[in-house]
Amino acid sequence: MAYLIFSLSLLLVYVGLAILLHVQFGLVGIPNFGVVGFWGLGMYAVGVFQVQFDLSFVDAMVLSILLSGLLSYVLGRLLLRCDQQAILCGTLAFSVIVALLVISEKWLTEGVVGLGTIRYPVRVGDLTEPFYFLFLLLLIGLLQYSVLKLHVSHYARVLIAIRDNEELAASLGKDTFRIKLVVFTLTCTLMGVIGGLSAPLNQFLTPNMIVPGITFAVWISLALGGKEHALGATIGVFATFGLFDILIETYLPVTPELAVVVPNLKLFVYGAVLVGVLMYRPRGLLPQQFLPPDRLVRQIDERAMKARSAVASAARSARDRAKAWRL
Amino acid sequence: MGLIRDAIFIGVLQASPLVLAAIGFTLIYYLNGFINFAYGETITFGAYFALLFNVSLGLGFYLSLIPATLLCGLLSVATYLYIFRPAIRKGVGPSELIILSVGLSFMLRYGLVLFTGAENAFLNEPPIDYYRMIGVGATNVQLLALVLMAVIVFNLYWLIYRTGFGEVVRALANNEELARVSGIDPHKVSVRVWFIAGCVGGLAGMFTGVFALVNPLMGWNLILITVMVSIVAGVGSVRGALIASVAAGILTAAITLVTKPLYAEVILLSVFILVLWSRRRRVA
Amino acid sequence: MAAVKLSVRNLSKSYTLHPVLDVKELSFGDHGLEGLIGPNGAGKSTLLGLLTRRIAPTTGEIDFETEERTYSLGECLAHDVARLGLIKTNQRIQNFDSLTIRDSLRLAAVSPARETLRSIFRGDQTDAAVEAEIDSYLAEFPFSDPDGYANSGGEKKLLDILRCLIARPRMLLMDEPTAGLPDDLTQKVMSHVTKKVDAGEMTVVIVEHDLELIWSYCAYVHFLSEGELLFHGPPDKVKENRTVAEKYMGL
Repeated sequence: MAYLIFSLSLLLVYVGLAILLHVQFGLVGIPNFGVVGFWGLGMYAVGVFQVQFDLSFVDAMVLSILLSGLLSYVLGRLLLRCDQQAILCGTLAFSVIVALLVISEKWLTEGVVGLGTIRYPVRVGDLTEPFYFLFLLLLIGLLQYSVLKLHVSHYARVLIAIRDNEELAASLGKDTFRIKLVVFTLTCTLMGVIGGLSAPLNQFLTPNMIVPGITFAVWISLALGGKEHALGATIGVFATFGLFDILIETYLPVTPELAVVVPNLKLFVYGAVLVGVLMYRPRGLLPQQFLPPDRLVRQIDERAMKARSAVASAARSARDRAKAWRL
Repeated sequence: MGLIRDAIFIGVLQASPLVLAAIGFTLIYYLNGFINFAYGETITFGAYFALLFNVSLGLGFYLSLIPATLLCGLLSVATYLYIFRPAIRKGVGPSELIILSVGLSFMLRYGLVLFTGAENAFLNEPPIDYYRMIGVGATNVQLLALVLMAVIVFNLYWLIYRTGFGEVVRALANNEELARVSGIDPHKVSVRVWFIAGCVGGLAGMFTGVFALVNPLMGWNLILITVMVSIVAGVGSVRGALIASVAAGILTAAITLVTKPLYAEVILLSVFILVLWSRRRRVA
Repeated sequence: MAAVKLSVRNLSKSYTLHPVLDVKELSFGDHGLEGLIGPNGAGKSTLLGLLTRRIAPTTGEIDFETEERTYSLGECLAHDVARLGLIKTNQRIQNFDSLTIRDSLRLAAVSPARETLRSIFRGDQTDAAVEAEIDSYLAEFPFSDPDGYANSGGEKKLLDILRCLIARPRMLLMDEPTAGLPDDLTQKVMSHVTKKVDAGEMTVVIVEHDLELIWSYCAYVHFLSEGELLFHGPPDKVKENRTVAEKYMGL
């Protein structure tokens, strides 16, 4: 039970990261390949401030947010005027820098030995973990709600316009660089916040938690779920992390020798799924993009009409056939 | 003064696999215009193919280079024919192609782990002699590798800049339509380029392996620096890749001599981000 | 209302020492609807790109004079220029492929001040005035699926022009509006534009190869050749001018 709560909390962490990546890549078109960097930065910042400087969770979190906010802003300023390939490589480089510094700066992070123990903000006896899970659920729910709201706002339209054709958007008076910078800074900082919130979950932080595999897992969730749909990220995490890490690893009876293979098999399958999705279903499970309400209603009407006429024509042909048979 | 001499010597010695990888990577980047992260696995597989012939079948190290290199070339061609070419034909965009290559990279890497396990492995090195020259030491393997790689790099350089084939590749990279009209078969040329790039990447893996050790992550560790070097060099400049990778090797060696090796990579990556920034789109 | 004037001094652009454009003096905005003509490669599109800050000039100054004050466009970015009311339609097809026609028009009509992060949590955001304006445009200009996406090249071109119109420019630069547009639509667009110019809502500069269109709509014509402004005057004068005839009309 305790393990299930932990897995579900981790699932929420991935959902949060994937939703934020959806905003970055699915809406504005910023390919952030350093997700684990921002997440790990937030997580280690909370850990270091709490353990090494003996601050309370809340104080550590505030400092962590300031730090990731500042770094996201600086990185955004440096990279967001570049093309997509450069942004992708630059963010990846950033995440590797974070991972390397975590290993090398032992006086802060304890290096490969590991940093711990990180305390929960509030302890409620045996119910601490379940309560923390509910708290995470509330926050991630709020995030998903905001993104759903975002999709029907004026703001989303500008973001999609920038993704489609940045120069054209600028020629209509949209300050594209500023909008990209705001979105990038905000979402990367939120990735840091999610990292900070993951610190007490993990309790003991080691450098092998911030590996590119995490960035990759978030990307595959988004690609599989559908990068342009407001719910794609969430669906994608359930289909990958939920299926593998929770259902299979927790509930399937695996022998010890198989248990060693499963994590590698998982990453192999993730890779294969990502290749398959990009080649055969590039828009993911939920291919729809931003549909304004009027368009959505029309589409439903059209489908209903098509279905009705299909039924009518089938009935007609059946009647004709019956008539012909009788003659 | 001694520091600079040491840095240059060690840097050149250690950078030699990077030079190979960077040139191979650059060829594909030049021709198809996307960053192929799965090239890292070509490097890893090179080391493992060498391991197969060298350790499992007991061939000498230098002898096992030959079949391992050819197998890597075939692997690279296979990824092109069965993954990247169909994807490009389906109109997968450049960003998505990169993500696709990362997916392929994970698939190959963990497919390999499923077979071999994730433990470190070692190639059987030829007997080692130790030489001291101009005040610095090097082993015979390092020196031989250096000579061998210099020969390979020279040949590649010749191929790209001095032969008809190089001209065809450059024509194709610049304007596929025009090249097609003038009677070049893009398919044939692409297959050859991917084969050569695969061979070169495999060799890079084998030399990395013989200098240190072989494990499934070695390609991923090398590919980051390789991508950086190629991008800094400018899209598809083989000459630039050559210079940039040697420079990266020397810089790494210099920083490593002064402080920790981890800082070398941090500084290199930070410099890389600043280079990207300096190439940002100029705003009117 | 719209008394705006765009004036240029010593504007030049060269790519690696190869000069493309060198205009000593030029002003737009005094004659309502003006034309800019010249042979291929004369630098017309480059000039429009420079005026809207899509291209950075090598040297020169551009002033945009409105009733409030005069802005020096040298200090502006592309979006600043658009916000001042200087907007350009595109010669080559430009489109937002994942926005519907209506959304594309909404994007152009809604001011940046309303597209903020805070707007996400505001309630109903439909603006009756904007929707009515969009409806009237879609009633005037036919699309095969007005609630869907622009399908053909012609529809995308038309949408590009409508986007610029709905953004309420004070000065509209039209880069070859007829290229890719069917004749009847061109007439519709031009009569709409003329109406707005006559009502004093905006001034217009048209770059066109279709000289008939220039002669019939423009009150004043500028002639650009090999990067230099060679002649300007009312259409009759331009028609009679020897240089224009030699360099352009091949007479």
